[in-house]
Amino acid sequence: MPIESPSRLVRPAGSGRAGAATVTHRGRRRDARRGRAERIAPYVLVAPAVLIIVGLRLWPLVLGVNFSFTGDGELNGTPVGLSNYLELAGDPLFRTSLRNVGLLVLLLPVAVAIPGLLATFIYLRVPGHRVYRSVYFFPAVLSPVIVGAIFNLLLGYDGPLNALLGTVGVGPVDWLGDPGVAMFTVVGVHIWATFGMALVVFLAGFSTLDASLLDAARVDGASLRRTIWHVIIPSLTRTIQFVFVTTMIGMLTSMFGLLFVMTNGGPEGSTYLPEFYIWHQQGQMNQPALASAASTVLFVVMLVVGLLQITLLRRSGRQD
Amino acid sequence: MVMALVSAGCGSAARPQSPSGDSAQEQQKLLVWDWKSGEPAAADYIEKAKADFAKRHPGLTVEFVAQPFDQYYTLLGTAIQAGKGPDVMLFNGGGQIRDRVDALLPLDQYVAEDKSRLAGWDAFSKDGKTYAAPVTLQGHPIYYNKALYEKAGLDPADPPKTWDEFVSGCAAVKKATGATCFALGNKEGAGIQFFLSGLGSGVLTPQEYDDWIAGKRDWTSPHVRRIFELWKEAGDKGLNNDGANSTAMFTDIFRVFETGKAAHIIGLMSDVGHWKDFGEFLPPDKIGVMQAPVVTDGATPSLPYDGGIGYAVAKWTKDPALAADLVRSLTSTDALTAFYAKAGAIASDTTIDFAQAGPAVAAIASEIKTGRPALHVALSSKTLDLMGRLSQQLLSGSTTVDKVVEQLAASDRAS
Repeated sequence: MPIESPSRLVRPAGSGRAGAATVTHRGRRRDARRGRAERIAPYVLVAPAVLIIVGLRLWPLVLGVNFSFTGDGELNGTPVGLSNYLELAGDPLFRTSLRNVGLLVLLLPVAVAIPGLLATFIYLRVPGHRVYRSVYFFPAVLSPVIVGAIFNLLLGYDGPLNALLGTVGVGPVDWLGDPGVAMFTVVGVHIWATFGMALVVFLAGFSTLDASLLDAARVDGASLRRTIWHVIIPSLTRTIQFVFVTTMIGMLTSMFGLLFVMTNGGPEGSTYLPEFYIWHQQGQMNQPALASAASTVLFVVMLVVGLLQITLLRRSGRQD
Repeated sequence: MVMALVSAGCGSAARPQSPSGDSAQEQQKLLVWDWKSGEPAAADYIEKAKADFAKRHPGLTVEFVAQPFDQYYTLLGTAIQAGKGPDVMLFNGGGQIRDRVDALLPLDQYVAEDKSRLAGWDAFSKDGKTYAAPVTLQGHPIYYNKALYEKAGLDPADPPKTWDEFVSGCAAVKKATGATCFALGNKEGAGIQFFLSGLGSGVLTPQEYDDWIAGKRDWTSPHVRRIFELWKEAGDKGLNNDGANSTAMFTDIFRVFETGKAAHIIGLMSDVGHWKDFGEFLPPDKIGVMQAPVVTDGATPSLPYDGGIGYAVAKWTKDPALAADLVRSLTSTDALTAFYAKAGAIASDTTIDFAQAGPAVAAIASEIKTGRPALHVALSSKTLDLMGRLSQQLLSGSTTVDKVVEQLAASDRAS
């Protein structure tokens, strides 16, 4: 056990074996007491951290899972077995929300490619790259509510974007009212609002890039596309993986504000995500137990996704 | 462990009610919770109510705490669980108060004198007991833009009486001004609720209407089906503004009506989206209120309304009579007159003279006596939620009226 070793390390110099020959009976007892104190000390020291984790993280988690097996309304507090989970499985709204999680995963490469590409251009010093660097980061400091409100205006059916499309002869698109389009709209806005952070990470990755490789490519007459494909991407593997992980987490956990402001889960419930579903059931429909069940499902999904990502990161770490 | 929990899930997700605190102590202060008293428009009302109360109970302090509305019921839930908090509190009528009557004091013996003066008691009653006194009335009149009627050559003083007249009038308005028939915002799924209640009295027979409110809803009735057909027709025939499913009811759609882009809107009577709100852009004499056009022979159109907001007394208050007296002060004619005049609400007091605020208010006030509870208020929040999504599907054409009525019937039966 690793806990044993620090206690040996912190043992004061005077209590070593050198003094053992001259120890009296009383001294031995004191020594034993001190030994016990030293054995306990590490537990005492880690106790606050463990208690905080257990009390504020694990215990609520267990309670939440526990509540998911109880009923709502008149059945409040009575065990109902798996009926909440069966209700979830039968609820088309919850299935839509899970399907949307899948959609987010599919859209992840786009969300990573955009900041990656833009960072590449900045790194390659396209004209005005200094301006772009700050401009691209700017939306990242806006709150989702503000971003949502701005895009609500822009994307309204009679809003400026449709007016612009009208001038070039493209029919108006109901960006937020068409169930086949709305989710993509919201994800697009989310990417717009958050890619600044990923861009910064990419730029940091670029700073570790070996410039001589790029020079060599240039000398060999490689085109921009080939430079990106054969030099930049392989050198940035770890950065790209990191951005993948953080973007994924961001997409799954922080879309609520945008959804709330832009679509409110609609139209036709097509933009529900599990988070939004949980909030809706708990806050609007007054069904905390069902919401607990949905939270548990979301927890399991996140756990699986998280473990996959850890495996991915660990494997890439071993490669270096 | 999961298996153990599955078989033995215990505790409860919502905390069970705990008994209230001690009583019979000299009351020095009354605490009131609401979400209105912080608004400048309500200042006069609160002032008048306080003065009225102080006259009868000098030396007692009344403290108003204005909570943010979006967290109001969450905060109230916590207070109810703790069994202590405000003595008097504001409620929305209908489900919000009925879900919480266990924590409230029946007021019947205290407010008997006010029963005939105030309207809208039903929304605050459950099982024959009254739990709050109504302050405002909330309902869904059909407003129309008289200026557009004039431009289209229609008589603004004689709005259409039947659905066919209504639709042909709309065609005339569209032709003359380009304005659509309805301003419809269905982003939140609230549009269908207004539509159902606003037009329902012209479609259901009086018997069906009463049965619906009493909880005996016949979803197989052709008239119930007709309401959803009308909803779909209105969408298919272009009676609504474009992008109804992405336009918010609160409050984007009200701008559409105010700016003359639509001839009609099924709006509200109090708080927002009403005569006073529209008056900012439309002159009061250009705003009309019409009864629901008759679709079914034998239907008698009536104003759909319920009690809007009202003050209730908590079970745990130390001196119930005193708290009930404060509720009476909060619903005194003086206070309610101030509320109606400043905040733009149809106050519950039937003795108030609404005429000076324009013809729209006068028209609404004249219908209060014959008005009936709104149809959608009788449905559970779960059914309303489902109806919102299904109504969006009807507009986009991805479902049929038959399927919608079937699903709503199932949801209504289950709750």
